[in-house]
Amino acid sequence: MQERTHIVRSKNGLSPLVWLSLALLVTWLVLPLVPLAVWSVSRSWFFPDIAPSAYSLRAWEYVLSPTSEVLPALGTTLIIALGVTILSILIGLPAGRALGLYRFRGKALIELLILAPTIVPGIAVALGLHVVFLKAGLAGTMSGVLIVHLIPTLPYMVLVMAGVFANYNPDAEAQARSLGANRLQAFRYVTLPAILPGLLIGSLFAFLVSWSQYILTLLIGGGRVVTLPLLLFNFASAGRNDITGAIGMIYILPGMILLVFAARYMSGRNQAYTATGQI
Amino acid sequence: MTGTRFIFRTFRRYCCHFAIFAILTYPLTIHASEAEFKNWDEVVDAAKGGTVNWFLWGGADNINAYVSDYVGGELKKRYDITLNRIGLSDTAEAVNLVLGEKQAGNDDNGSVDMIWINGGNFRTMKQGDLLYCGYTDLLPNNQLVDWTDPSIANDFGLPVDGCEVPWNRAQFAFAYDIARTETPPESIAALIDWVKQNPGSFTYPAASDFNGSVFIRHVFYHAAGGVEKLLGPFDQTTYDAVAPKAWAILNDMKPYLWREGTTYPNSIASLAQLFANQEVSLYFDYDPAIFGINVENGIFPETTRSYGLADGTIGNINYVAIPYNSPNKAAAMVTANFLLSFEAQFEKAKADVWGAAPAIDVARLRQEEQTHFAALPRNPAVIAPEILARHALPELHPDWISAIETGWQEYVAK
Repeated sequence: MQERTHIVRSKNGLSPLVWLSLALLVTWLVLPLVPLAVWSVSRSWFFPDIAPSAYSLRAWEYVLSPTSEVLPALGTTLIIALGVTILSILIGLPAGRALGLYRFRGKALIELLILAPTIVPGIAVALGLHVVFLKAGLAGTMSGVLIVHLIPTLPYMVLVMAGVFANYNPDAEAQARSLGANRLQAFRYVTLPAILPGLLIGSLFAFLVSWSQYILTLLIGGGRVVTLPLLLFNFASAGRNDITGAIGMIYILPGMILLVFAARYMSGRNQAYTATGQI
Repeated sequence: MTGTRFIFRTFRRYCCHFAIFAILTYPLTIHASEAEFKNWDEVVDAAKGGTVNWFLWGGADNINAYVSDYVGGELKKRYDITLNRIGLSDTAEAVNLVLGEKQAGNDDNGSVDMIWINGGNFRTMKQGDLLYCGYTDLLPNNQLVDWTDPSIANDFGLPVDGCEVPWNRAQFAFAYDIARTETPPESIAALIDWVKQNPGSFTYPAASDFNGSVFIRHVFYHAAGGVEKLLGPFDQTTYDAVAPKAWAILNDMKPYLWREGTTYPNSIASLAQLFANQEVSLYFDYDPAIFGINVENGIFPETTRSYGLADGTIGNINYVAIPYNSPNKAAAMVTANFLLSFEAQFEKAKADVWGAAPAIDVARLRQEEQTHFAALPRNPAVIAPEILARHALPELHPDWISAIETGWQEYVAK
């Protein structure tokens, strides 16, 4: 199990090679964000200057003004992403458990179907769905957007959970039940700790995939559900690097916070949380 | 405006869909334009307390502010109408939305009440019977519009027929930096020589870009010896006679272009970046207001100036249109009427607001209003629209445009 190797490593400290690759990874992730931050406060930045020749907070003033609707869009994006994450857990956890633990007729086909949205381009699905959503009265509503985001998020959640449950021994639940725990207690004290790292990874995927949706939101939301990627693309395609930079900074914030928060649990350093689940 | 290029950008992409669609629906295309309202007072009454979902290109903060703050504020104050601005990256997104609603049978409760539109998108909507038509005479400010002007009555060669209301006038112009370039070329013929004398300092976006396409049309007009032969429906014989000359000019130019013409910028935003970075010496845009906006935004240097061509530059009008299934037609009509008013057109013309040229005929305004327009300070980077308008060229029929774009890809880009 991957978590086991982590435990061993964390006891011995990280090797220099691991440190080096970590440093490279962080550089890779952070470096592209630096120009974004600089653009957001620049007024003129001409090639081949290393730094802008004039600075201004105008992009931020616009982005934070009611006209830009960036802050309401941040709220909308957050509500949708959180809603999608919760729905993905509610659907993905039982589905992943079934796929991971049981063998049944047509399992391979179902796995393929679940994977399909990650292979088929979203726009192809969305164009057909738009008519269905219109007829159902879901087009142009937040719940419609929430539902349509499940298409790209569920495969990640289900497949991660299926992987977790494939290495999970349900006998532990039976043992807990035989020791007097009810179903809820067995889930709370036995199942959940065992699957938590996987569940967090799946949730993080679901959140971030929903967070970054553009075309599905645009098509099903019909412009009435305004999320940050829509506003971001307005300015990115218009070549307005300053405003794109400012919206971009706001856009990456929740993902960063979540990642830092979730990393603590996902590292698997706490032995009780390892997916092997042997208590 | 900057917006106009996005309005047409996808024209070519949708052309085929549209052609098939038009053939399929042709017998059904009867314009249902019976007026639902008898007079303007009825419209204003019906509009009270309404909401207008206005879909328009949202890539410029100053336009967004003008629409949301100024227009939205005034509509609320004067008519108790709530304006909801919905920013688009591409106007075709709104067109597709209405098309999807029609396919789903949503004929009276659509999500789009108004679109900033012209060219190919207007064509798609008009011929797909997706527009509410025949209301323009009801608008009191319609009297400020000179419908006898063919460039207003026809949107890219397609009669408007009361299906949209003019909003802005745009005319192609070149920009240069007086600190770097002393005498820019002021005709297509001069440009051809200038490019050869100044290798590497000129390029134009590919034909897939709206502004690149309109530049290529200027060369095409030059090759044809004038636009007259090219007006009207597409004519293969004329095209075959002119096209080789135009491609020869552009191919001769190629080795002297930026990066020896091995590549072309894929969007006008890229050309703006090249000009800002001093990699090229000339910039152009369908709307000269962008020069001033870019100077204001610090993208272009303060020493930017602009000019038209002695042999004329292409102009167009962009409009607002109301989809046939808008549930807020009265409120949208009141909005369209307000956009035509002196106050709204004047505010929009201010250089620090937007700098867009009015679509109304200023000569039809009251004397003091005309004085206001005449006294407007202009950003020095923006050429006066009336000077530019002295040498204005018409746009071509969309079939011509797509033929030229395809030809360029085939014979010049390769």
